Amino acid sequence: MMGMMNTDDHRAVAVIMVGGPTKGTRFRPLSLNIPKPLFPLAGQPMVHHPIFACKRIPNLAQIYLVGFYEQREFALYVSSISNELKVPVKYLKEDKPHGSAGGLYKFRDLIMEDNPSHIFLLNCDVCCSFPLPEMLEAHKRYGGMGTILVIKVSPESADQFGELVADPNTNELLHYTEKPETFVSDRINCGVYVFTPEIFTAIQGVSAQRKDRGRLSLPADFVRLDQDILSPFAGKKQLYTYETMDFWEQIKTPGMSLKCSGLYLSLFRHTSPHLLNQGDGTKSATIIGDVYIHPSAKVHPTAQIGPNVSISANARIGAGARLINCIILDDVEIKENAVVIHSIVGWKCSIGRWSRVQAEGDHKAKLGVTILGESVNVEDEVVVINCIVLPNKTL
Amino acid sequence: MKALILVGGFGTRLRPLTLSFPKPLVDFANKPMILHQIEALKATGVTEVVLAISYQPEVMLNFLKDFESKLGIKITCSQETEPLGTAGPLALARDILADETGEPFFVLNSDVISEYPLKEMIAFHKSHGGEASMLVTKVDEPSKYGVVVTEESTGKVERYVEKPKIFVGNKINAGIYLLNPSVLDRIELKPTSIEKEIFPKIVSENQLYAMVLPGYWMDIGQPKDYITGLRLYLDSLRKKSQSKLASGAHIIGNVLVDDSAKIGEGCLIGPDVAIGPNCVIESGVRLSRCTIMRGVRIKEHACISSSIIGWHSTVGRWARVENMTILGQDVHVCDEIYSNGGVVLPHKEIKASILKPEIVM
Repeated sequence: MMGMMNTDDHRAVAVIMVGGPTKGTRFRPLSLNIPKPLFPLAGQPMVHHPIFACKRIPNLAQIYLVGFYEQREFALYVSSISNELKVPVKYLKEDKPHGSAGGLYKFRDLIMEDNPSHIFLLNCDVCCSFPLPEMLEAHKRYGGMGTILVIKVSPESADQFGELVADPNTNELLHYTEKPETFVSDRINCGVYVFTPEIFTAIQGVSAQRKDRGRLSLPADFVRLDQDILSPFAGKKQLYTYETMDFWEQIKTPGMSLKCSGLYLSLFRHTSPHLLNQGDGTKSATIIGDVYIHPSAKVHPTAQIGPNVSISANARIGAGARLINCIILDDVEIKENAVVIHSIVGWKCSIGRWSRVQAEGDHKAKLGVTILGESVNVEDEVVVINCIVLPNKTL
Repeated sequence: MKALILVGGFGTRLRPLTLSFPKPLVDFANKPMILHQIEALKATGVTEVVLAISYQPEVMLNFLKDFESKLGIKITCSQETEPLGTAGPLALARDILADETGEPFFVLNSDVISEYPLKEMIAFHKSHGGEASMLVTKVDEPSKYGVVVTEESTGKVERYVEKPKIFVGNKINAGIYLLNPSVLDRIELKPTSIEKEIFPKIVSENQLYAMVLPGYWMDIGQPKDYITGLRLYLDSLRKKSQSKLASGAHIIGNVLVDDSAKIGEGCLIGPDVAIGPNCVIESGVRLSRCTIMRGVRIKEHACISSSIIGWHSTVGRWARVENMTILGQDVHVCDEIYSNGGVVLPHKEIKASILKPEIVM
């Protein structure tokens, strides 16, 4: 499928790995109520952001969401997003974990149905600007089997990720190692890839090798992208890198979801400014910085909202309330003069008059962002600081 | 009649308030602490009050001239050049206290607030004919104070034990005395403790009598007791002259508001709040168990409880101040700040939240 191709024949399919309920337990208590990929960031479900980015891929034929949540958890979302974005989206359930590459391989027949020349693989819990069309152009220039999105990070934090070394001229991937103990490189794997269909041959090769080695290795159909594909194929002129200069974060914890919600809100300012709210306190509430308010939410004009606030459907924000760096989920009621800072307020919570819900705001610390689970009731004048509160409690 | 008020030292426990004013001039329930006592003395017919002080007489004297003319009572300062304890100052002021009339004189402690039943005390003193009378009050933890054991029927003091280690009784020395001039003969002009040295002698001669103080008593020399004291004071005020307290839909419990203060819409004030002259409380503010001193501005939507806000300070919009936060004079808490027990020295700006009790210099 390489070499001479009519540009009209260039078709792309995108696969977004969404994981499953046994993964992402760090996202509790929020994930007790909703699959992590559907948790809202900047007012849209987490998985919406990569899906929306895929729309910019020329000749995109199909988007597949692959995970091991139950079908019914994604059925509603998938049909509504297909309608809204006018692009076919389907959810494919893995019966068991196959590893990051095994999942792709398992559904290869479906993926190849549209005869794509290029296959994008994205991880849902990655927060970035998804420069997919640019990656595709670079990939075509390199002519390899795959191109990996990479970003430069601080040397101290690099060992949490897959570190890679690329040739500065050709951008070829020379070396790849996952979470090394010693310093290898400050460029890391962002979890966003574009492949040609050759990738399936490569994965099959790994499976076959496994079968040969018999019972001493992992199951044949469990193939990890990093260790089994990227590492062995590095330095063989098959894999290349594309570096992004924009933001990149992993959304592993509720604290990080708050940070990433803020990053996506600031991205909206460039890509979809009509989604952000304005207001100066006269007819509608005073808005500071990037703020998303669902059209069905009611916010009193004397409230002051922002920066970095996202308010979901049917929420009610009372007179004189102050919200800073927070996510307010559906049906929340925040009464008069309450203050919410660096927090996530879960569905149906009630925050009393003059109460205060806040945290220090360190998104990476365990208690750096206060989380209120579903239906928590904070009574008038109560102060909640640096806490995680499980659902249905009254404070 | 004459009176002496022991004002004493630096008032370190009431810092940072006492960094700006000497303790007797720190406001309590919208009035300088010492004015509560001077007014009670004036009402009994005292014509001259001596303030026994050991520091900052200039600031005191200016104030006192003001009181003198307004109240029509003579106020003098007796300044110790070295600390004279709780009895020595009496000797220092001997010439004023022991006058030609031979009448007994009052001795008060400036930190104490109570209902001051001074007329009843005069009657009590005349009836027993002893050399000295003191007021006693019942407390839960007597071992912090001087405990007084009396004969039930007469009130004659049988024993006086300072800070007893075992339980002796639960009535303690309330720091309010009525003494005959002869007591002055017992006191030399040197550092002397009235509790440890003078009273025990008087007790051994069966000359000390004690009367139980009806009503509340509080030593408001430290912030926690200051706030509790305000509650007791306002409770008593409700019984005596309810019209002085504020009322309205936005008021809960006992609240004292100076006439010149302004309160905005949508506020909820009380219980146990005192708001001083020229304060501005903007709309949507919640105040409970706190003192707001002269000239303070509390901005919109703020919430303050169990705290003291010093003169001319400001508390920003949506700020939360609680749990024994004490702001000195001219402290400015920025918008949205949270203070949990911050003790802030004068003329500071608070730009970062104070999450646990600490002193901000």
